[in-house]
Amino acid sequence: MKRVVLGLVLLSCFGCNPAPEPIVFGSDQCQFCKMSIVDNRYGAELVTAKGKIYKFDALECLVDFKQKEEKIAAAAHLELAVAFDTPGELVDLNVLHVLYSESLPSPMGMYLSCFKEESEMNKWLDAPNARSMQWAILEKDFEMLDKR
Amino acid sequence: MKLFLLLLSSLFCINSFGQSAVVVDPAKGASLMEAIADAAPFDTLLVQPGTFKEGRIIIDKPLFILGVGYPVIDGEGKTEIITILSDSVTIQGLQIQNVGVSYIEDRAGISAEKQTHIRIIDNKLYNTFFGVYLKNSSHCLIQGNEIKADAVNEISSGNAIQLWYCNNILVQDNHASGHRDGIYLEFVDDSRIENNTSTNNIRYGLHFMFSNRDQYVGNTFELNGAGVAVMFSKKITMQYNRFINNKGTASYGLLLKEIYDGTISNNTFLGNTTGIYGEGANRLEVHHNTFEKNGWALKVLGSCMDNTFTNNNFINNNFDLTTNNNRSYNNYDGNYWSDYTGYDLDKDGIGDVPHRPIKLFSYIVTRSDASIILLRSLLVDVLNFTEKVTPAFTPELLQDTTPLMKPLL
Repeated sequence: MKRVVLGLVLLSCFGCNPAPEPIVFGSDQCQFCKMSIVDNRYGAELVTAKGKIYKFDALECLVDFKQKEEKIAAAAHLELAVAFDTPGELVDLNVLHVLYSESLPSPMGMYLSCFKEESEMNKWLDAPNARSMQWAILEKDFEMLDKR
Repeated sequence: MKLFLLLLSSLFCINSFGQSAVVVDPAKGASLMEAIADAAPFDTLLVQPGTFKEGRIIIDKPLFILGVGYPVIDGEGKTEIITILSDSVTIQGLQIQNVGVSYIEDRAGISAEKQTHIRIIDNKLYNTFFGVYLKNSSHCLIQGNEIKADAVNEISSGNAIQLWYCNNILVQDNHASGHRDGIYLEFVDDSRIENNTSTNNIRYGLHFMFSNRDQYVGNTFELNGAGVAVMFSKKITMQYNRFINNKGTASYGLLLKEIYDGTISNNTFLGNTTGIYGEGANRLEVHHNTFEKNGWALKVLGSCMDNTFTNNNFINNNFDLTTNNNRSYNNYDGNYWSDYTGYDLDKDGIGDVPHRPIKLFSYIVTRSDASIILLRSLLVDVLNFTEKVTPAFTPELLQDTTPLMKPLL
């Protein structure tokens, strides 16, 4: 009996620990814009505290989704994005550098990309109006950057 | 019409400047790159049959390059092939093949950036990653090209025709197949897509993003991942197109997302998983279309408002309409529904009892995909009938008050 209970407790622990899930490029669909996610240099994911996973084809869609679905945004547990310099791999957005550079068009038209290494990002900073920022700043300045 | 006149006048301009014709014959060891370097602006290069393997060819002056008997320009799977760095360039009758796939840059068979009056006519582009790619350009013509590739997945494939930040472009009579998107437009205004055929593309036959005041007319979209996607765009006119056999779990004939003030008329939707899928589509006029043998003819989600669906034919679809909202913000009056079981006692061609196009079962299927297995069962028929008589779950006011008795031709 004890073992069973222990097992159940362990199981429930597994169930409660929300973990990210890799994006399957070419078959997963963006939660916000419904396009299939194809470009493995871009992409984002939101994991809620209950473990529900939302995938996006670009950072723009993650922000748009959060603004539209405020309840889900409030329940966000993890926010990840694909780094341009390590294609296909999801990284915690809080450690990524977000870049706005008109020499790097992103899938949703706002020239946003993410970088793991600052040195890789600096290569793109010479475009006019280019700037780098942290994720929290991007969310704050999103309206201002949105020229679509 | 304005656009057409503008294009027409531009064509005459180019032709009247032509100076001399130079023959470029690969059989005599001629190099296309040298011929371009030696040519004077507005010369015509008559390129003879044969094969050129010269890597990336840059055209930096106004020229008319005319292929005779489809000479082959081969990129040997390495670089981009033709890069246009001048206005008023015409490329006609070439076979352009083998551009290398790149994950860093968007290489193309023919590309132009910040140019006007480019004409790309009657070329064959095979395995060119991106076929024709225009950036920041205006008043161009892309006509009669055959653009083919064998894309296996969406990641390692480009788009057959891609326009980015362009305006006043005419894309006509092209055939695009085996790419990611057949025709892709991002930030493209006042352009016309006409009589193209887009088949077997992995993602979309035609794809609009952030584009306004465009028209697509008389095109055929067959066997693509999804036929056409119109997203974040305003005032798009969609007429006389054929959306055929675009099948798959996440597949649509026409996907509408955040669009306003468009017209969808005289189109045919045949054998698609979903004919039209709308999310955030507003103020559209949808009329004189035929929806036949689709899984769902229309999926109109709650965020769609003020759309008018009238004079359409809904014939033999599994479901004519589904929505996730329990009120109706759209008008569905005056359509023909093959499922209509009412009568017309006064013989005015309009059914005397309203038609409710939403079946209860379509709600259940939307919630749980697997329940589709019950589609033809007696249980489901009883459910649907009960709901029809006393609507409890489906929006009560979502109905066609003037259903037509006979289909429109």
